Amino acid sequence: MMNDQEQEAETLDILWKNWNLPVDEGARCHCFGNTSLYVSINTAGDGAVLAAMVRFPEVKPVVKKSNKTARKPSLPELPPIDDAAWTRAFVGKTQEYGLYPGYPPLPICVRLHESFSLPPGSDIMGWIFSHLEARILINGEDMASFALIPPYKTLYGTPDSGVVCRYDEAEFLASEEPATLFSHANPALVAHPVRIRNSSSGPVKVSDLCIYGEQLSIFGTGSRLQSERLLFTFSSSGVRMAIDSQGRVPRDATVLARPRVSGEERAFERSFELFKAMTRI
Amino acid sequence: MNETVATTETLTETSAAAEALAPDSGSLFDLLPDTGLVEHIFTVDTVITVAQVFLTIFIGMVLLGLVVGILKRASKKRFDVRTSGLIIKITQYLGISLIAINAFDVAKVDLSALLGAAGIAGIALGFAAQTSVSNFISGFFLISEKMFAPGDVLNVDGTVGVVQSVDALSIKLRTFDNQLVRIPNETLIKTNVFNITRFPARRLNMNILITYDSELEKAKVILLETAAKNRDILKNPEPLFFVKGFAENGVELLLGVWVASEDWVNANNSIHIDVKKRLNAEGIEFAFPTRTIYSRQVD
Repeated sequence: MMNDQEQEAETLDILWKNWNLPVDEGARCHCFGNTSLYVSINTAGDGAVLAAMVRFPEVKPVVKKSNKTARKPSLPELPPIDDAAWTRAFVGKTQEYGLYPGYPPLPICVRLHESFSLPPGSDIMGWIFSHLEARILINGEDMASFALIPPYKTLYGTPDSGVVCRYDEAEFLASEEPATLFSHANPALVAHPVRIRNSSSGPVKVSDLCIYGEQLSIFGTGSRLQSERLLFTFSSSGVRMAIDSQGRVPRDATVLARPRVSGEERAFERSFELFKAMTRI
Repeated sequence: MNETVATTETLTETSAAAEALAPDSGSLFDLLPDTGLVEHIFTVDTVITVAQVFLTIFIGMVLLGLVVGILKRASKKRFDVRTSGLIIKITQYLGISLIAINAFDVAKVDLSALLGAAGIAGIALGFAAQTSVSNFISGFFLISEKMFAPGDVLNVDGTVGVVQSVDALSIKLRTFDNQLVRIPNETLIKTNVFNITRFPARRLNMNILITYDSELEKAKVILLETAAKNRDILKNPEPLFFVKGFAENGVELLLGVWVASEDWVNANNSIHIDVKKRLNAEGIEFAFPTRTIYSRQVD
């Protein structure tokens, strides 16, 4: 009997890896909770064309109780492979494709379910989560990246100086809650250990945190995906995100995605101004 | 004694040889009239002056090159391309003028007459180039205001387009139907200029007129829900619902939704389609000009 952790680790290994092309099996479905990523192959001439599309969970139609003959909803009917809904790429003679996690192209603005106040000079550690994207690689090159939740946008900051971000919601978990943390094991989520520091002279209200995924890696640890530890510093000039130099990556972690922007120095440079109006009391 | 005699003999021989060769030498000096003019021009002083002029120009150009090089590096980081280019060009012109004045000074050329003439010419030119000068100076004000940069979308007096280039006298806009429009800097100073893409997000205002029979509360809920479901609409800032008032033909509503500036076209289309569909589905009618006619039978 495998214990829970071993089972979860296996789940992770099964999902994020290189896959053989789905020849003669129709559309292959990779499931991320209620979201499905379909991959299909169309052999044409000397090579093959790989097609992929994502389907988000749809709102279930209301079925009247009196209607006893109502059938169970059938499997979703996929559009033909030449439909615009599919993203296609010529794969040539390659026999496999890679399915790996990645961050969205935009910064991610995580709205906390419950905002909290941070007194001046204090420091808090915890965890937040964000939804990642599924990247399809062909010969090690990105073919496409698919959001695993409907990709809504938001503005982080004020209309004159804000940053357009991918919208996400999460709960802020204190680090003393490993049980709760574990329960969040979900292949579409990446965990971010965070340290939030208030170096300003007044209290701040933490309601949103903005994460620049391009500066971060994704590590596979057990069943969970996680990034480096992030340091959010609230100062009189705004809020800055940086990679916490004190944070350590677990030893058994597997690197599944590397930062698109290399170097911690650049990460610091590209850290952004957060918004006093949004976070200050 | 013997040595002195020998030297004198040698000199005598040399002079004799020179005299013998002179008629056949073909020197350029021999072609010139023997007026003493050449000797007057090609004196040692003249040669020294010419050398000084060349040296002044050379040193000036080297120094100017150094200054421009430093300015290029310094301004690249601090200013945009246009400002940096303008600063460098002005420095170059000033430097060349200074070098020229210095060179004339070294050559002992009296500049007062030249400057006097230049003054008169300047007045004439000033009248002639009034518009150009005005545009040029306006360009400086535009730079200092930092109102726009290449790549921004501007609306100048109804002309909308992407800023293609910002030059000394004018800016070039490429309109969305692919025309190049030249707008003088002076015009930009005088008229209202809208920079449409300056900020990351814009509010899209939808004016909706619904009939007096419609429920306003329901309309509010529907409109806000529709905005919340549309992926082109930003979650923050939140959409604005506003009752503008009771108009002649119906109740006038405003739905203001925030969209990323780059998504403007898609968002505009999708939200209008969504609102129309949803209001139709919910039975809320759009109002249009109506006229109530009462008929009365004439006895």
